[in-house]
Amino acid sequence: MKHHYALAVLIAGCASVREPAPVSDSAPATPAPPARTENVAVAGLMDRARADLASGRLANAAASLERALRIEPRNPRLWHELARVRMSQGDYAQAENLAARSNTWVGNDSELRAANVRLITQARTAQGR
Amino acid sequence: MSRRSGFKRFLWYTVLTVALLGAGFTLYLDLRVRNEFEGRRFALPARIYARPLELHAGLRIPLADVEAELRELGYREAVREGESGWFVRTREGLDIALRPFVFWDGPQAARRLRVSFDGPTVTSVRDEEDRDQALVRLEPVPVGGIYPANNEDRVLVRLGEVPKQLVQALIAVEDRNFFSHAGFDPRGLARAAASLVSGGPIQGGSTLTQQLVKNFFLTPERTLQRKFTELIMAMLLELHYDKSEILETYLNEIYLGQDRDRAIHGVGLAALYYFGKPVEQLTLAESALLVGMAKGPAFYDPYRQPRRALERRNLVLRETKDQGFVTMEQYAAARATTLTLNPKAAVGTSAHPAFLQLVHRQLRREYDEADLRSEGLRIFTTLDPRVQLAAERVLARKLAQFDREKRFGEPGLEGAIVVTDSQAGEVQALVGGRDARYRGFNRALDAARPVGSLLKPAIYLTALGEPTRYTLVTPIDDGPFVWKSHGAPDWQPSNYDQKFHGMVPLRTALAQSYNAATARLGTDLGIERVLATVKRLGVERELRPYASTLLGAAEMSPLEVAQMYQTIASGGFRTPLKAIREVTTQDGRPLRRYPLAIEQAFPPEPMYLLAAAMQDVVRQGTGQSLKNWLPPETAVAGKTGTTDEQRDAWFAGFTGNRLGIVWIGYDDNRAARLSGAAAALPVWGEMMAALDAEPLALPRPDGIESVLIDPQSGLRADLTCAGAVELPFTMGSAPEQRAPCATEIGVAVEQVKERARGWLERLFRR
Repeated sequence: MKHHYALAVLIAGCASVREPAPVSDSAPATPAPPARTENVAVAGLMDRARADLASGRLANAAASLERALRIEPRNPRLWHELARVRMSQGDYAQAENLAARSNTWVGNDSELRAANVRLITQARTAQGR
Repeated sequence: MSRRSGFKRFLWYTVLTVALLGAGFTLYLDLRVRNEFEGRRFALPARIYARPLELHAGLRIPLADVEAELRELGYREAVREGESGWFVRTREGLDIALRPFVFWDGPQAARRLRVSFDGPTVTSVRDEEDRDQALVRLEPVPVGGIYPANNEDRVLVRLGEVPKQLVQALIAVEDRNFFSHAGFDPRGLARAAASLVSGGPIQGGSTLTQQLVKNFFLTPERTLQRKFTELIMAMLLELHYDKSEILETYLNEIYLGQDRDRAIHGVGLAALYYFGKPVEQLTLAESALLVGMAKGPAFYDPYRQPRRALERRNLVLRETKDQGFVTMEQYAAARATTLTLNPKAAVGTSAHPAFLQLVHRQLRREYDEADLRSEGLRIFTTLDPRVQLAAERVLARKLAQFDREKRFGEPGLEGAIVVTDSQAGEVQALVGGRDARYRGFNRALDAARPVGSLLKPAIYLTALGEPTRYTLVTPIDDGPFVWKSHGAPDWQPSNYDQKFHGMVPLRTALAQSYNAATARLGTDLGIERVLATVKRLGVERELRPYASTLLGAAEMSPLEVAQMYQTIASGGFRTPLKAIREVTTQDGRPLRRYPLAIEQAFPPEPMYLLAAAMQDVVRQGTGQSLKNWLPPETAVAGKTGTTDEQRDAWFAGFTGNRLGIVWIGYDDNRAARLSGAAAALPVWGEMMAALDAEPLALPRPDGIESVLIDPQSGLRADLTCAGAVELPFTMGSAPEQRAPCATEIGVAVEQVKERARGWLERLFRR
């Protein structure tokens, strides 16, 4: 069942599905799309999270993103960033779910949608699906 | 000869026996003193904090609410240069001198803040040099603790942190020879002996060491034997430990008052409780007040007996001066100060016991009860004091009002509320009954009540998951319905208005909460399938697979209902409700985080259709009266629930930022004669209106299209159809047939318009 609609999301969302990129535990799986937010606090937290992610402080990165999500729970970029952190932490199931959550708020941002779809594909591959 | 020597021998043996027994007793006491004193660590309660208020430009919060939070933290409303822990109003907003605080992710230093407001919105947060600060956390409000069995509370201090004058005042009043005696004071002992001879109670002459022994090891009765034991133990204590160790332990042990059921121990906590500041900052006058209270914290309670406490303080000051510890000038200045106490109201072990019960239960999954009550863990929770207070107040006020209107006698109506953040599943408030301070039965967690129509969304969600069979306009038969099953009486649900409504569109059956139509729909789908949906929504309790379960004979607690609706509010993503964010050790080392975890439990399309249908419940159905509290733009999605004979009144609903569940009824299951719309909904509405209710804008999934529908026929309409409405459908599931009012060309135009809109949206994606 779940497979079904996740697939639907995949088909609906992607203009171009690329080959799944190889997944490694430490490096972020996909390059991050540029941050877009009006809120300075959220932008600051996102910057901090990205720095933490880059230097491997994954728990801190996740905490900053959760803080940001409390301010802007409908910001698809925050959900996407959190999905990337979970991917780096090797929590592929969460990565997949968070990227799907990001897609529900993604609106017209096709770039972010494509990034989410790539992340979902990678998370599935990593889970052997 | 033999008799005399026999007597002598007897005497000798007696002496020897007594000496041996005495030595044995002393050795036993010695063992106890050393074991217990050494092994004794003060049991420190787990401290529980609310969420920290995070200030940033754009935050929607009225200035008064920030002030209320600062007062709750014990901040004074006056400029106190050089100190922290105060705030003042300015032309733009607030100036705040933040106290330092160790958060779970590190310490935050004391700092000054300038917060500007424009109406109920923060426009900027700046530091002293006027630099913009992106995000600043206030200290989290402490909301209680998990206490040792005797409810002792304390904040440990080192001797070096305690002001010298406090120690001197203590010595001057309680034990002048403390630094020279060997654990007891001969003169005091003589006084005790005299009172023994005169037959009075044995009293007086306790050194600090003896007082400590008494509090530490012994029961409070006053007998000669106990006095003797106390004396020996005091001497042993002095033998093994130096004066500063004994003094430090005394300062941490001393009992200094009662805050409802919480016992205030030690000068560290007493300084915070009575004066709202750390012990280091106590003045001479404040120190003297605490020292004076040691003699009888209830008798000299400065809140209840300010005059008596002040006299006692002045006596302590005089003794301190007479002993030469302070000068005449210092004495005179201290004596002249008035009594200024921390205004914080007595809250006991917690002001919000219901929420704490939830925290406690979640903690017990990972921690030992004994550790929770002794290790001084710091628990950072999701409680939002603003939401909690709004919920508590509204419930108490509304229940009192209903009681007056209905006069059903004692005991009165009860209620429960759960409020969560609709996206992350954090519990922001939990009220377990009309008396929010009562720490007994917690209805939000433990009252399992029939949920009535609150179960209906699960039935409609199951249906909408099959777009080829069911859409929002599919006609459902609301005619008389009988359900026959083996071994059970026939089940014939009737409607709330005692009428049947014939064929009705699916969305109307939900909006008007028609029972016959819903029962027919549920049994057509299959009870087991509906129950599987309920489970997938996050309800763990096993519900009985009876037809009556469909219409809400199933019993659930308000928290379980919240878990179920959370999945709907967050677009089909299930999140276990959580009350705790982080746990650290007492010195701030992180022990555990509770991360945000979600799982997609439903595809987005049927969830979207369900939420849209639930918006109709509020727009034009049983939840219409919500417009008395919230403007239509808030577009709340909700559901009312009323059970047989109106024993239970429910309302469950969500805005763009919060989900709330309200239950009202009698504990003894009397018929309350109040429907969900009449009782639970007003509580919900008034509470959400008091908070910042964000409009609910449902994100439209790709697989959804809008189609113009003629409500009369439920078929495709065009612009010429009066009262035509635009409704969402899973792509391709909308009726093909044209309504009688519509022309072929008109419908074609509508179709082209919708398609063009879809293309344009895709084309102009950023």
